[in-house]
Amino acid sequence: MPTKVLAFAGSPRRHGNSETLLDWVLASMGDDPDVTIEKIALTEANISPCRGCNACEKLNKCIQRDGMDIIHDKIIDADCILISSPIFCLGLCAQVKALVDRAQVFRSRKYVLKLPVVPPGRKGKRLGVFLASAGQKWDYVFDAAVPSIKCFYHVTDVRDADISYLMINGIDEKGAIESHPTAKADAQKLGKAVIAELKKRLAA
Amino acid sequence: MAVTVLGISGSPHRHGNTETLLDSFLSGAETAGASVEKVVLRDLDYTPCKGCNACHKTGECIVQDDVITLFDKILAVDCIAVASPIYSMGITAELKGLIDRGQYLWARKFILKTLYFSNDHIKRHKGLFISTAGLSWDNVFDAAFPAITAFFNGTGFEYYDNIIANKMDQHGGIKNHPTALTEAFEKGQTVVRVLEKGMAEPIPKK
Repeated sequence: MPTKVLAFAGSPRRHGNSETLLDWVLASMGDDPDVTIEKIALTEANISPCRGCNACEKLNKCIQRDGMDIIHDKIIDADCILISSPIFCLGLCAQVKALVDRAQVFRSRKYVLKLPVVPPGRKGKRLGVFLASAGQKWDYVFDAAVPSIKCFYHVTDVRDADISYLMINGIDEKGAIESHPTAKADAQKLGKAVIAELKKRLAA
Repeated sequence: MAVTVLGISGSPHRHGNTETLLDSFLSGAETAGASVEKVVLRDLDYTPCKGCNACHKTGECIVQDDVITLFDKILAVDCIAVASPIYSMGITAELKGLIDRGQYLWARKFILKTLYFSNDHIKRHKGLFISTAGLSWDNVFDAAFPAITAFFNGTGFEYYDNIIANKMDQHGGIKNHPTALTEAFEKGQTVVRVLEKGMAEPIPKK
């Protein structure tokens, strides 16, 4: 059985700093022949914001028909879900926030309808990775993004302790991450560590 | 001249808890003599920021949609009340979409240096954040504040106050909340009086 990795490149700017960081992690994961990787660029994924209608609390599905129709199933199938986002105005970019808010259907399933999000056997065997880049150097620049990301993983049955973070501040212009002293090595190390941990859990 | 107040509703849910709280604030402001307008983001047509940074060179956004008209309006009023429910510990994607699009104002301020808000201007322009959350946690609004701070900084408003109410699920909606609607109404009246007083003061010479 291949280990399935699903990655969301959240930035509206293709191949910028946060997506490069994501690519480094994915490349090191892909060194393992048993790993299948799918990357989705949110700017091309056609995900509308949540309408707040709460229909999913009754229907167990979203009333909107858009890119989330396919992504919903991919989120359930994945063993590891990665999200990368640039920090805009001290938060996730709007594209990532739309993805996070549309995970409301999983929250309804879990807490209102009391149905499983993933089959019981896969619980505790899913890992999450959040990658971010920020132009500002402030050390608190990521603080407001993390709680929303935790919500996404919580409702998709990735435990809080199973989320890894690699967040790089002080990089602004396109390509600036390339000259960061540690980002690439840290990303590669993270990719390897996540796959090793996953294989251990999936074999158990 | 009447104080001008603009309410921006960032909820996708029409006439829900957050918009009702905003309405109460706006009617308080109107009672105090302000000229009041409300904009509902879900009725506007706009895309999120593309992060292209073209505005860093020109100070203009290459995407000319409803957001630009809204920013013109924001920059022309004395008071803005920005309203959003808490979704997944943050503001809605609609409101974040608006805030991110303010990047061209940031570029004018910090790169091109063509936009400057004096301390006196900021003192005479008040911004309020209005929000509701279903959860009872005291920290449920914390991750929303930084983006609102960035928004008010970018548009030249003093972050004047919050009107926030959690435990919506527990109360069964804003209408059953013991104090929130009254608080919003009174804060609407108060901010107009504060702004009127500021207008009566002479503008300090540089």
